[in-house]
Amino acid sequence: MSEKKQQKVKIWDGTPGYDFIKEIDLAEMPSWFHDGTHSIPPVTTMFGYQWARFCSHGLKFACTELSIPTCKGWEIRILNSGIYCALHVVRDQKEIAEREVKFRQALRPWIEDFDSLWAGYKQELLSIYIKLLELDVDNATNLQLYYHNYDLMRAYMRMWEIHFMAMYSSFNTWLLLETMTKERFGISDQDPEFQDMMRGFNNKVYQMDKKMWEFGQLAIEMNLEDVFKKNKPQSILAKLQQSEKGKEWFKKFMDYMKTDDVGGWRMRRFTDLNEPYWLEDPATPIGLVKDNIIRGISYDLEATRAEIAKKREAAIAAFLSRAPQEEKDLFEGLIRLSGKASSYSEEHDLYCELFVHALMRRGYLAMGRRLAEKGAIDTPDDIFMLNPDEIDRVIMVPESHDMRWITRRRKAAWKEAHKNPNSPVITNRASIEEAVRLDLLPSGDAIALKIIVGEMPQPKPELKADLWGICGCSGEAEGTARVVIMYDDLKKVQPGDILVCPNTNPTWTPVFGLVGGVITDAGGTLCHAAIIGREYGVPTIVNTQQGTSKIKTGQRVRMDAANGAIYILE
Amino acid sequence: MSSGKLIFRFEELGQEHNNLVGKKCANLGEMVRMGLPVPPGFAISIAVYRKFAAETGWAEETSHYVSSLGELKGQNVAIFDELSQNIQSTIEDKEVPEDIKRMVGSYYEELCNKVVIPNVAVSVRSSGTESRPGMFETYLNVIGIEDVVDKIRKVWGSAYTSRAIAFRVNKDIPIVGDELGVAVSKMVNARSAGIAFTVNPVTGDTSKIIIDANWGLGEGVVSGAENVDRFVVDKEAFAILDTYVGKKAKQVITRKRGAYWDDVPLEKQSIPCMSNDEIVAVAKLAMLLEERLGEPQDIEWAIDPESTPPNNVFVLQTRPAKVAAKKPESVTDRMIDLIAKRFYSP
Repeated sequence: MSEKKQQKVKIWDGTPGYDFIKEIDLAEMPSWFHDGTHSIPPVTTMFGYQWARFCSHGLKFACTELSIPTCKGWEIRILNSGIYCALHVVRDQKEIAEREVKFRQALRPWIEDFDSLWAGYKQELLSIYIKLLELDVDNATNLQLYYHNYDLMRAYMRMWEIHFMAMYSSFNTWLLLETMTKERFGISDQDPEFQDMMRGFNNKVYQMDKKMWEFGQLAIEMNLEDVFKKNKPQSILAKLQQSEKGKEWFKKFMDYMKTDDVGGWRMRRFTDLNEPYWLEDPATPIGLVKDNIIRGISYDLEATRAEIAKKREAAIAAFLSRAPQEEKDLFEGLIRLSGKASSYSEEHDLYCELFVHALMRRGYLAMGRRLAEKGAIDTPDDIFMLNPDEIDRVIMVPESHDMRWITRRRKAAWKEAHKNPNSPVITNRASIEEAVRLDLLPSGDAIALKIIVGEMPQPKPELKADLWGICGCSGEAEGTARVVIMYDDLKKVQPGDILVCPNTNPTWTPVFGLVGGVITDAGGTLCHAAIIGREYGVPTIVNTQQGTSKIKTGQRVRMDAANGAIYILE
Repeated sequence: MSSGKLIFRFEELGQEHNNLVGKKCANLGEMVRMGLPVPPGFAISIAVYRKFAAETGWAEETSHYVSSLGELKGQNVAIFDELSQNIQSTIEDKEVPEDIKRMVGSYYEELCNKVVIPNVAVSVRSSGTESRPGMFETYLNVIGIEDVVDKIRKVWGSAYTSRAIAFRVNKDIPIVGDELGVAVSKMVNARSAGIAFTVNPVTGDTSKIIIDANWGLGEGVVSGAENVDRFVVDKEAFAILDTYVGKKAKQVITRKRGAYWDDVPLEKQSIPCMSNDEIVAVAKLAMLLEERLGEPQDIEWAIDPESTPPNNVFVLQTRPAKVAAKKPESVTDRMIDLIAKRFYSP
């Protein structure tokens, strides 16, 4: 019986409706690019489904609204728990010209006042989130949960629309500035001269980092230093409850987590729903406070940032003095706007993905508990092995359903996917280079070029390096390699280690204060690791393709980031 | 000017001869009169073109063909390409009459003797009575009488490039038009060359001189395709106010015959292609021209590696500078325009 059922869903499983099916998808779009930035490690069914459906909607929405002349958005499919993207390249010259007319009008408000537009959209998102939080998910009726499933999807859809409107409009200025500095001065965005102009911006991410540092100072003032120093994050929570001072500190801490506009609605893992958010498990942010205390007062985030900001203004002034007189205004405008691209690229995660994913986890886990109680699935978090349509079918009368034959099989497949890396490109073109040339570059898509796929490394044979990437933040570093695939393993990172990872995301930001250098497998000059590397002044090399497979934990490695060169010393 | 004379040395000419030899030649003559460093050469008058067109039957043939086409305004641009091709190919069949060849030959020989170089390399440029920058063809590093005559014929034919035809059609000028004089000058095998504006062509600012320069021949700047050096010089004190060194990846240089785009050696790409003394020398020449000709000028100049400073800067031509009448764009407009053009244009 069970086997018969499996056959029926064979062509329709994993992420039903969004599974990559070679015969169908490759016939429609010739090249599919693996999005390692968002799907290493592999993604769950629930997450893959939501991402494929709504992230791709957001891209198509923004490309339509902004009338991006050469790209109509992306298609997204899931294969072996990995995310694959294909771009809707506009190839008809007349159509490109027609789209360009509207593009010029649609881009203008963003160029004129990016900050106000983004502030307005932030408010819109926060008001959507507050509404979602009004539902007491633990005591909701099945019908309320049924509706909540749709409310969450609606919120996710809107989040992606806003996300990409702001991202497309701001990244274009970065791309233009880079093109012009390359042409005029031979400076690319991998050069320190360029990167120094794009650092030291204040935004929500740093405000929250600073808050964690202040809570560390408060703990020291309240004589709680030892509680943090001597215990692991999980037991710090219990220890704090044993003293009045401890309780007082924890109450202040949780007040911030609950009352700040972002606060504890922040996922530990960036792109999936299967790890807790800060409010759900305060051990994560408590761990950050602990790290700050261990580093002591000599570690002054403010001073570092002020220094970088000062350096930025000097770099901008030096650059502008080289620009031709009649183009100074243009370059200055471009530099300011590109700085916003860099800053937005970092800050938006807090208001977009990290927040809404936390709310999705909260809502879907509640549905998971409802299904698990009635035996429809094994455990509450097996809900992440279902998709919203399947939840729709069973949530009203969970006691009558058994979904375990689906969740168990998908879970096994998902676990298996962790062992098998996905290939970088699936294409019916002659080679990867041809796929990039014909199906990626003509899209002119700033996001694909600068974040997801990134420029390919250009080895310099005379340097005889063992591995090549592109420069995220220049500088030299030598240290012990620490290969980290999952967030949980981040705690093993020792001060001065060279972090080697598939990629980083905003939840990894604090570790940049600790490490001597960062090497990633994926990403471009506007990916998270590159931006944070620059903000923290940590030598960073991105897009090595094979850092985590070539470098082993414990090996000594040397980085010459400006040249994208990595040396494995033993 | 004695009637019947058809070819003139530059020193025989002045601005008053515009209708006789075209603007470029008349200006070259005027500059020689002013004592400015102009490469020696001679002007083929427009009458020579008329003689050629009449005697070979090309004038009649062309006007016959054009009148058979009817109204062209508003038609697809492809028609201009076709028209251009048809007309220019017929001129290739027309042998230049012997007496014209002989006349040109004697002036060319005179030039060779004057500069003491047998078969001296020359440039062959169009010289119409109206200034139409970029409309007609120029031939560089032309060597020997056969080639000079051939290139003169090609310049005449270039009155029918598709851009020139389209321009005339759109401006309601008869298609059969633009009878051209030709300037034949000794080639300056420039080390560096470029243009100088005595007015900012974008903003209209008349207080400074703007110099754009590249290694090699001036065509490496004029075509606007390359990233070049730019110097801004104050008109009062001749102080260099702004130096912008472009990354000059390509230059135009001469080979055995003709001129070609070539790579600039790596070590020369990011250094200025002229010294401060040379910048000031070009600026002073430009100012002199503006003062003498009474209006802002757009000048082509070249630095001759075979001459010694300060006499190594030559003026190749000058014309009144055109200032874009556009109102100044905002930075936002420029950004949008650049983004659209750079990344998303067909």
